[in-house]
Amino acid sequence: MTENPQTRAAAGCPMEQASETFRPFEHQGMYEFLASVRGDVPIFFAPEIDYWVVTRRADIEKIMPDADRFSAELATQPVFPWPDSVGRYLEGRNFSNEAVQVACDPPRHTRIKKSAAQFLNIRQFMSYEDAIRDLVRGYIERMRGQEEIDLVEALTYELPAQVVFLLLGVTDFDPKKIKAWGDLRLHMIWGDPNEHDLDTAARDLADFWDYTVDLVEARKVSPQDDYPSKLLALRDGDDAVLTENEIKSLIFGLLIAGHETTTNAAGNLLLELLRRPNQWQAIVDDPSRAKNAVEEGLRYVTSVVAWRRQTKEPVTVSGIDLPKGAKVLLSLASANRDPAKFDEPEMFDIRRKNAQEHMAFGRGLHHCAGAPLARLELRIILEELTTAFPEMALVDDQSINFTRTLSFRGPNQILVRPCG
Amino acid sequence: MVQFTFIQPDGTRNTVYATPGMSVMETAQHNGIGGIIAECGGSMACATCHAYFDADTIAKIGASEGNEHEMLDFAATPRSEHSRLSCQVEVSEVLEGAEITIPDSQV
Repeated sequence: MTENPQTRAAAGCPMEQASETFRPFEHQGMYEFLASVRGDVPIFFAPEIDYWVVTRRADIEKIMPDADRFSAELATQPVFPWPDSVGRYLEGRNFSNEAVQVACDPPRHTRIKKSAAQFLNIRQFMSYEDAIRDLVRGYIERMRGQEEIDLVEALTYELPAQVVFLLLGVTDFDPKKIKAWGDLRLHMIWGDPNEHDLDTAARDLADFWDYTVDLVEARKVSPQDDYPSKLLALRDGDDAVLTENEIKSLIFGLLIAGHETTTNAAGNLLLELLRRPNQWQAIVDDPSRAKNAVEEGLRYVTSVVAWRRQTKEPVTVSGIDLPKGAKVLLSLASANRDPAKFDEPEMFDIRRKNAQEHMAFGRGLHHCAGAPLARLELRIILEELTTAFPEMALVDDQSINFTRTLSFRGPNQILVRPCG
Repeated sequence: MVQFTFIQPDGTRNTVYATPGMSVMETAQHNGIGGIIAECGGSMACATCHAYFDADTIAKIGASEGNEHEMLDFAATPRSEHSRLSCQVEVSEVLEGAEITIPDSQV
């Protein structure tokens, strides 16, 4: 027998209290909130965003891979629909980005992923290890001799964008420009922007798309050893494999998915380690610990805190009936600290044996294609930073701020003294 | 039903009853066996469901081939001649009594 949510709400039950307390865009206090509700409230409604929030790992593990009953098509749609003026402007600029990976369902997803995975795979990513290490060492050289730095500005903001450029064969573009575009796009889709923000952001979004189109057109004329050239070769003029617009959309997607989440994951991981000098020291003493430290960082402070689905038919989640078309927010942050999976889940421990069983990269057919690349980047960052600056320490009494978005969490600034 | 055993890196043994037609990976997940992560859900994109099958079983089911064989080069714990991606091994009668050892790390 299922429970009626209205009846529960009227009774002033924990589910209703969770609905009233949840602040979907506010990261300060998010983990404390999740810990306080997970035991009694496996699912609750968030009226501010019109989503049902799922808090337990067991439910999220079932829902995320279930493409038969839960659609991923809304995964990259704006949380708050854009005004018509934005749509008209983008149409006038020939902005034709379409859902190709994270936000489409089988069989379309299956067809496109088959091509994308020919390049986005662990074999290909590992071929970039030396190049990534050289990039990290370059940033570290620029940190030397400075008494105090912001690790985000000095390293983690730009580096993942530079790695995306490696994949795209781009050598002549300012990483800060790509980052600015990415920030705007996240704000437009996962934030709560006002109309003025949206008008400004729409222009930049169209510029971002134009850049992508130019890049793909250039590779058609002069193929290189990179992702767009690989996709064009796989297409070989056959729309049944991939259309040109799908290729442009895949590149457009990589230009954001390939760096924003890794920037945030690196910031989250470094902050937690530096807050615990004994765990930083443990990696200094034995760099082979970096690998599991990366996994614990992804578990304890995932950079993707929540991901979206929509019901394709009536379903029941932890006793609550949801109609067809209900919007569902899966709290990966909560799944990663669920005591049903992890002992002492609120403790950050780089020696945790099952840290790798986190859900930071999702689960199932939409599992993050770039996961091995993110892991590689994070491990190299840790290995190189702990080697170069074994005494690195956080600057005291700094406040850590997070951008307001529904799905992404990462510190905007981490002030450190490189030499302690 | 087919009965076989998962062995954790610390030697812990879990014997499960598996349904023919499912994969070994799905069987592990269905039974809450730790260490078979399978982040990609069986699309041969992640190599996080790597497992070592006992010699008799490998002789029956055959060694890895094609994309699976290539992906095993990138498994987090080094492959051996007994390695398979468990998402690519279908449960059938030949797995009766098999011993499937889970590697130290999958990522």
